[in-house]
Amino acid sequence: MISFEPTEDQKLMVESVAGFARNTLRPRIREFEKERGVSEAVRKTAHELGLGLVGLPESVGGAGLGMTTAVLLEEEVAWGDPAAGFAFGGPGAFGFAVLELGTPEQATAALAPFTADGGHARFGAVAWGEPKPNRDRAGFTTTAKKTDAGWTIDGTKSYVVNADRAEHFVVFAQVDAAAGWRGLGAFLVDKSAKGLKVLARETTLGLDAVSFGGIELTSVVVPDSARLLGGGDFDAALVRFFARHAVIVAARGVGLSRAAFDVTREYVDNRKAFGKPIGHFQAVAFTVADRAMDVDAGRGLVWRAAAAWDAYDAGDRNANDAKECLLRSAHAIAFVHEAAMRCGDDGVQLHGGAGFMRDFPVEKFMRDAKQIGLCGMTAEHADQLAGAVALGVAIDPGLVLPTPETQNAFV
Amino acid sequence: MAIEFSLGKKQLETREGIRGLAKNVIRPQALAWDRAGGIPEEFLRNMARLATSMGSNAMRSGLGDETEEEKREAEKKRGPSGTNLFGVLASEELAWGDAGLLLCLPGPGLGGPPVRGSGTAEQKKRFFGMFEDLDNAPLKWGAYGLTEPNAGSDVSGIRTSCRKDGRHWVLNGRKCYITNGARAVWTVIFATIDPALGRAGHRAFVVEKGTPGFGVGRIEEKMGLRASETAELVLEDCRVPEENLLGGEEKYVSKEGFMTAMKTFDNTRPLVAAMACGIGRAAYEYACDFVKDNYVLSRPIPRYAAIVERLAKVGRSLEAARSLTWRAAWMADNGLANAKEASMSKAMAGQAAIKACIEALENCGAEGSIARDHQLLEKWFRDIKVYDIFEGTGAIQRIVISKRLISDLKSF
Repeated sequence: MISFEPTEDQKLMVESVAGFARNTLRPRIREFEKERGVSEAVRKTAHELGLGLVGLPESVGGAGLGMTTAVLLEEEVAWGDPAAGFAFGGPGAFGFAVLELGTPEQATAALAPFTADGGHARFGAVAWGEPKPNRDRAGFTTTAKKTDAGWTIDGTKSYVVNADRAEHFVVFAQVDAAAGWRGLGAFLVDKSAKGLKVLARETTLGLDAVSFGGIELTSVVVPDSARLLGGGDFDAALVRFFARHAVIVAARGVGLSRAAFDVTREYVDNRKAFGKPIGHFQAVAFTVADRAMDVDAGRGLVWRAAAAWDAYDAGDRNANDAKECLLRSAHAIAFVHEAAMRCGDDGVQLHGGAGFMRDFPVEKFMRDAKQIGLCGMTAEHADQLAGAVALGVAIDPGLVLPTPETQNAFV
Repeated sequence: MAIEFSLGKKQLETREGIRGLAKNVIRPQALAWDRAGGIPEEFLRNMARLATSMGSNAMRSGLGDETEEEKREAEKKRGPSGTNLFGVLASEELAWGDAGLLLCLPGPGLGGPPVRGSGTAEQKKRFFGMFEDLDNAPLKWGAYGLTEPNAGSDVSGIRTSCRKDGRHWVLNGRKCYITNGARAVWTVIFATIDPALGRAGHRAFVVEKGTPGFGVGRIEEKMGLRASETAELVLEDCRVPEENLLGGEEKYVSKEGFMTAMKTFDNTRPLVAAMACGIGRAAYEYACDFVKDNYVLSRPIPRYAAIVERLAKVGRSLEAARSLTWRAAWMADNGLANAKEASMSKAMAGQAAIKACIEALENCGAEGSIARDHQLLEKWFRDIKVYDIFEGTGAIQRIVISKRLISDLKSF
């Protein structure tokens, strides 16, 4: 059956999260921006609403409500403040990384701190990007070398979401220098590990309440049990991780698009010029109509991707081909990244000079839109992924994932 | 209910059946139909029989919405699939095979919805009754005559006049771009008692073939959809019996006449959007196959990231349009008002599919425009353009949408 109607439970959850977004987040977006973070009280409420673990299966300690529920709620949160979803406590991208790359035991253990009391105060992070491309060979400059004690990791990781807040990291490093982008490894590393240094937080264009930064690893030693092997096909699991996380980011992009659209629609209703509301001029009204299509079509693609993941999770995962999920996720993230930027840009444009002023939220949405377009995976990489799936060619991690060689992204 | 996008077993089977038909039977003949400017009647009869056997009422009562009774009947045959949703799924597959075919199928066509929506019980019986015997009687078509040489998007500006004369109405004017206009057994003709009255002056008539003063003008030569007949209709002191005034006199105390014209489109726009998705998908798949089989500078084409990106952008635009199309159809099936969403689907699908056809041609390089080698590509490129024009241009869709988004916006 094809249906666009959420379940009764989902409707109730959406309603309560929408209320939270409207009454708690939206009135304080400038405060969160200035403070460069979401206050602890608000993070606690978000945690109580169950926002951090919604999309993860119960088998690894998640809420087990599925990706579809997760995207419904993420859209509402992002409508309130596009930065909030990234800035709440919880595992974030880390959760999907351990889910896809780890064994069920590893994932359950890694997620335990987030389900325990005080989970709202704990962050996870994924250390993927690097400051510069490696000029000598393909792959990351950060290396993980096998020793008797396990693995020794050296290098600098950047473009890490919540780097300075996270207690737990998944760190990507080169384990096989000769294998290029097919020679990566992933490791669970705690902040407390000897030799791990958190680098200074970056100042960014948008999403100011989100912390973007990096970590430096100097001879960090982890046991062999900390290595995430991706269930035998590491590259496939790696791409699944990016695609799954991208769906969540895309849901936030839809929320952002709708936020920019809503304030703009209201503005063109009220702002008068030449004796009538500016929305009554075709050039303005047609732009509003186009952006409404962007919001709705983006949501449709995100729902379709989320539903594909839920079907994948419900079936026999070994037998079930994830290609459908990858294609749907890539469509969703690429479309939404571009649509969000159009909504932010046109939003400011239709506000005229007022749009440039910080009295109105729309300039923030425009900055946030570009920033979110660089989160998870970029539209360009998503298109390479979708194209590879559609054309039936081998999925090359170096081409379809955001790397320092192509285009870094915040993960 | 839950958000989901998988098809049930029965739906999947039916779609597979239509897909196979489109691939193995329809597409191999598409070029011949395009060149001949028509489709053999025998083939159309077989298609009509097939559609009826699959539970479609379109051959008897036209496109678009169905009555509750028809819906129940149809669901018995094809399961609770939702008739509009099933319609868009089937339309996409058939248009993938050939876009012209859908417009050529016998039945009341676009004339169906206004008769069903506004006709009296007697009129419905009389005009739909003509389509009963599909198996043996000669094939029949209905048509919809609204557009005029000087009234396209602005349908309120029609000038075809009507005046009462005894027990007849006398109609004068010209209608253009009428699908199946020349062969239709009847056409719903919109006329005005007084242009100064605007929409309130509009009247709709079912004008039957052979009515004195009702003639066919020229048959248009078109860029694409050449298998479909597009005719000009001429009304010269055409005397229409008063019982053919759609809905009877009382229907026109308000603006109902105009609304009759417009209601037709809420349910057909998603179908048109779905057809556009089908043509766009055909071109997109063709381009994907082409690049898989070909080389540039001795490298397989998919190794060029720029080509992959162009294809992916087309793929996702079509998918975005499809999601809006499914939603509009799903809303109609669930009794939700969907004028805005129907227009969204058509606005996005028309443009996405045009882009898909242009990109596919360009991806194949100069070869793509050569009819000898890539005849289908060349045909789709010609066929698709009108999908952003007929049943409301892209601009008209944006008027429909923005009126439902912006407060107190009555007109521009």
